Amino acid sequence: MELLTSCFHCGEDCTDKPISFAGHDFCCHGCQQIYLLLSDHSLNDYYTCEKPPGHIPSARNFSYLNNPAFYDRLILFTNHSISKSNFYLPSIHCRSCLYLLENLNKLDQGVMSSKLDFGKKELTVWFKESLINLGELANLLASIGYEPILDSEEIVGEKQKFSNQQKSLLIKMGVAGFCAGNIMLFSFPEYLGIDNGSFRQLFGFINVALGSVAVFYSGSDYFKNVWTHLKLGKITIEAPILLGIMVGYTRSVYEVLSKTGAGYMDSVSGLLFFLIVGKWFQQKSFDFLSFERKYTSYFPLVITKLIDGEQRMAPLQELKVGDHLLIRNQEIIPADSVLYKGSSQIDYSFVTGESEIVTMKEGNSIYAGGKHIGKMIEIEVKKDLKQSHLTQLWEHQIFKDPLFKSENWENFANKVGVYFTVGLLSLALLVGIYWFLWDPTKWQNAVVSILVIACPCSLAISYPFALGHGIRWLAKFNFYLKDIQALERMAQVDTIVFDKTGTLTLQLGELPKTYFNRVVKNEEWEHLYTIVQQSTHPISRQAQRFIAHLGHTSEISIENIQEITGMGLESTIDGVLYRVGSAKFVGFQTKAPTDFYRSETQLYIQIGGQILGYIEFPWENREGVELMLRKLQARYDVYLLSGDQKSNSANLLDWFPKEGHALFECSPMDKMKFIHELQQAGKKVAMVGDGLNDAGAFKQAHIGIAISDDHLHFTPSSDAILQGKSMIGLPAFFKFSNQGLNLIKISFLVSLVYNMIGLSFAIQGNLSPLVAAILMPLNSVSMLLLAQVGMNTLGKKLKNKLKSYPSRSICDSNHILKTDKIGILEN
Amino acid sequence: MEIMYVMIGLSLLMAIGFLIAFIWSVRAGQLEDLITPALRILPEDSKIQKIIHKKYEGN
Repeated sequence: MELLTSCFHCGEDCTDKPISFAGHDFCCHGCQQIYLLLSDHSLNDYYTCEKPPGHIPSARNFSYLNNPAFYDRLILFTNHSISKSNFYLPSIHCRSCLYLLENLNKLDQGVMSSKLDFGKKELTVWFKESLINLGELANLLASIGYEPILDSEEIVGEKQKFSNQQKSLLIKMGVAGFCAGNIMLFSFPEYLGIDNGSFRQLFGFINVALGSVAVFYSGSDYFKNVWTHLKLGKITIEAPILLGIMVGYTRSVYEVLSKTGAGYMDSVSGLLFFLIVGKWFQQKSFDFLSFERKYTSYFPLVITKLIDGEQRMAPLQELKVGDHLLIRNQEIIPADSVLYKGSSQIDYSFVTGESEIVTMKEGNSIYAGGKHIGKMIEIEVKKDLKQSHLTQLWEHQIFKDPLFKSENWENFANKVGVYFTVGLLSLALLVGIYWFLWDPTKWQNAVVSILVIACPCSLAISYPFALGHGIRWLAKFNFYLKDIQALERMAQVDTIVFDKTGTLTLQLGELPKTYFNRVVKNEEWEHLYTIVQQSTHPISRQAQRFIAHLGHTSEISIENIQEITGMGLESTIDGVLYRVGSAKFVGFQTKAPTDFYRSETQLYIQIGGQILGYIEFPWENREGVELMLRKLQARYDVYLLSGDQKSNSANLLDWFPKEGHALFECSPMDKMKFIHELQQAGKKVAMVGDGLNDAGAFKQAHIGIAISDDHLHFTPSSDAILQGKSMIGLPAFFKFSNQGLNLIKISFLVSLVYNMIGLSFAIQGNLSPLVAAILMPLNSVSMLLLAQVGMNTLGKKLKNKLKSYPSRSICDSNHILKTDKIGILEN
Repeated sequence: MEIMYVMIGLSLLMAIGFLIAFIWSVRAGQLEDLITPALRILPEDSKIQKIIHKKYEGN
């Protein structure tokens, strides 16, 4: 018997009875509606993807976008008949999305044309405002399953700034490559030893001109950075690089002008080119992600004010103390207030980490950030937006200092940079004095060659390339790091702190799903309720709660009930045999192997010898959490910090057996303080969490990793974003970061050997420009290759390792679980 | 050998021409989205849409 049908539109498992329409099954009317709409407009090609591409439509109303405050921000261009606007649609994921969204004009006459940027998940729409307004357009997108998310102006500005930086770097790279290539061409006669006075001079001048462009235009960032750091009294790795470049450049200009030689311009510009390629490579951007989301990103953009009994939409900024607001189901409370009318169930899990849903009555205080569940309520605002319980966290000092992390942490390259610069300068000085005393003709040559050849360019190249590769590899497994420094910090971690709700356990609010092959009668529900009430097994408890939720709580008296341990319950009521329990117990044959994780959360039901189907309960813990924690505990000090009460986490406690390693009822501020205390004790702490309540801890920690489900847009500011399903790979990711750093250290040693060879020539004062010209690029290229090959090997190793995990889908969308891999759990 | 001077000048000019073309392409945003065009060619496209794209691309 096949019970599971997946929806033709969205691919979700259909609960209860699927809706059959036009030969396809749908999980809900929303999906069916979209199908109908698309087939009416002959857009059926949407469904040609291998997997069902759709999303369940959103019922949110975006008509507030027509409010001038939003209209001006969102409309990029308008001539009053045609307008252009951009929408960020996080649910974009495959080429079917592209097909549908670029054919938007077929769905609505008002849309002229639409163009998608897949990487940024951004849709640009040209539309006629006389036929469709901005709010209607957003509603159209939401109704076909692509709900637009409006980013705050800060984030949009940040993304724009980054994109401009990328462009300017790319141009600098192109110019440096152009100069380097041409200088090498004009240096050819020199390499071959062709001696022709007039050409030599001409080529020399051209080289100087090209080299000047490369150094002063493409290398301008080096001047700026070194200068700003020197003003602060700091020496970074860029200082000796710039020194080498400038010495090489000055010497070359001198040689050409004084007609004493051809200079090192080819090496200088070639080196610059490689350096800028490295810089460009390390700036991998995940355009569709934002690592800078503040609390404002989660709050509604508009509020519904109640003024003299009339509803009025207003931007959030216009919120004042004493205002009466209307809050609809699933909306976020924008400020600390008092419940004025109605009753509410409030879910604070994202903002405080508390997993229980709280019931609120008229007169109760409710705090900003809670999600209201239930009928529409009216609230009275008691505190200003900025003074609310939640937002105070952002008033803390560390949020005001944009350089908090970078100032308090020195990376490997810069640490080495200081010693390197000092060592290099003293060596040059000593050698210079030596030759000045023994053979004054050689001292100049020797000093210049030393400074040029020993420039630590290899480190500046292998560092960005290796780590840049590293973050690209990790992104393949849904682990997105903000920058390469985050990867390096990850390697230094010795303590890991986990949040509970939403991180180790899943967010509440998901209802059990039923997979029945017929409709269950009311009296049958009552019988089932009575039966499951007889057992204290956790799953029976859950079933009892679920059936009560459906509204069947009347008990009947029964006598002949049997509990078969490990199997289920059996009872005969009114001559009908009821069996409730495991698949085996009711005789249910599944096509798919009963997999390890799900079997424990399914309750099978048999009535009168007929199998009815099963109820699937959402699992409380994320899959593989236990395995992951055990692996991490072998290498790291692992803590649990929860905003929740202790009683809600009995089974988690077994996984944190050490004294004082599991703390409960922590406020967001407590979490931050706890991490600070660990840091005071000399620990390097990684914080893994999910909600806004962890934002302070993320900022304070050496590295903050935000766990996110679905489309990755619901994450607080952090250094890294990890998709929930990949969390089991965390131990492997940490190991990968260590290996990456080791690779850089090896490269550094290799380049030191290079430098030693070069230096041994240079010290003797007889390094020819030819040798320098060959040694320097060769060094750079070998560093590049080492980083490339090394990181790819490590990345492939990581991939193989993750494939062997008994997880559903870290590497790909393969949903079939391999039961024979469970053996890993025992090791 | 004097012809060499002219040729070197010309070759440099040509190279600079390509450099300018590169800078222009970066500034115009041609290298910004490298993913979508590859996906866009997969499904069939209607003719009208292509025309509309061309017409309003510049706005």
